[in-house]
Amino acid sequence: MARTVAAMAMTHSPGLTGWFDRAPEDQQVEARRALDEMRERLQAARPDVIVLVSNDHLLNWPINNTPEYTVGIGPEHVGPADWYDEWLALEKYRIPGHPALARYLVNEGARRRLAFAYLRDMQFDDGVSVPMHYLNSKGEIPLVPVTMNCTVPPIPTPARAYEVGTVLGDMLRDYPGAERIAVIATGGLSHEPGGPRYFWVDEEFDRWFLGLLKQGDHAALLRECTLERMEAAGSGGTAELLAWILTLAFTSGPAEVLAYMPAVAWRSGTGMVVWPDVKN
Amino acid sequence: MGNVERCDKTLPVNEMIFYVRRDAALRARWLSDLEGLAREFGLSCEEYEAVRDKDVRRLNEMGVHQYYIPQILRLFYGASANSNSHPALEAYRRAYPDEAAAAERLLRISARREG
Repeated sequence: MARTVAAMAMTHSPGLTGWFDRAPEDQQVEARRALDEMRERLQAARPDVIVLVSNDHLLNWPINNTPEYTVGIGPEHVGPADWYDEWLALEKYRIPGHPALARYLVNEGARRRLAFAYLRDMQFDDGVSVPMHYLNSKGEIPLVPVTMNCTVPPIPTPARAYEVGTVLGDMLRDYPGAERIAVIATGGLSHEPGGPRYFWVDEEFDRWFLGLLKQGDHAALLRECTLERMEAAGSGGTAELLAWILTLAFTSGPAEVLAYMPAVAWRSGTGMVVWPDVKN
Repeated sequence: MGNVERCDKTLPVNEMIFYVRRDAALRARWLSDLEGLAREFGLSCEEYEAVRDKDVRRLNEMGVHQYYIPQILRLFYGASANSNSHPALEAYRRAYPDEAAAAERLLRISARREG
């Protein structure tokens, strides 16, 4: 059976690579420090594979057919997608996939009533490219990307994300392999990409949400952090935190917040979190 | 619910942007023959004009998915160094001056606190 050896979450704002130096210097220093620490902790956990949970920014699926979750099952992942090259200011990267695990998730998910779509050639936007640039830049750790919809209505609820995370955790524990798995959520915190409040960051919401993670009471978080609350803090973007809530289901106890920046220049509340205790 | 609920999932422009972003030939045509491209994707006259005019507020109100609106601007202006002073984002300041001003106040407060 596979084991979860790390659970982490970070913002994937394109500003973190595309226009990093436009933020105040203190925020740049803080982000670098936290990302270095995340990478060191990830390496220390010696994962065989990263299961990365992010959201698709309307890149892989047209708006008339948007699956709730999609698994990238290819033997190799190449990004960023051409359209994102210039925006993210990143060179192309190649990361090995883990087709056996990815295909297991699709098929075993179906048996457990989770409708995971899949792509053999997934395209990658900031959701995968930014965290991989900072955490796995040489592509040494194989990757299974899992993208979700959090921006095309109907947006799934936090309770649903936690439920999917719980089933995903059960499936990984039942996987017939000895892989050490790191689960990394990317997205959030507050932002409203393309909406009227495009330049806004809701610092009060962000600190409240991170406070809930630090308390480590999952039931309280699911009770209080409703989809409506997330939408009020930035429509169509703050709900990227559903990836964090999915990952929460792999953990127990308080999260450790490595950094938080209300980074208006990057157009997103920006944070990095690790959970010291994971469930196995 | 929030602004994203304004999205009209059946609006042809919402389909068009998906395919244009993924295809270099269509991206080039965006700049050389936007009107013909819009016709092929079945955009209404109103949709085409709002895209052509880079009218952020009108695009949002007619149900273009909010994430696609800055992407439309990037198709015109390019995407490099897409910071808040990028010309693509100036269109947002014009469309939503109150929201943009509030965010700028926030940025100043944040800079003072750190300074």
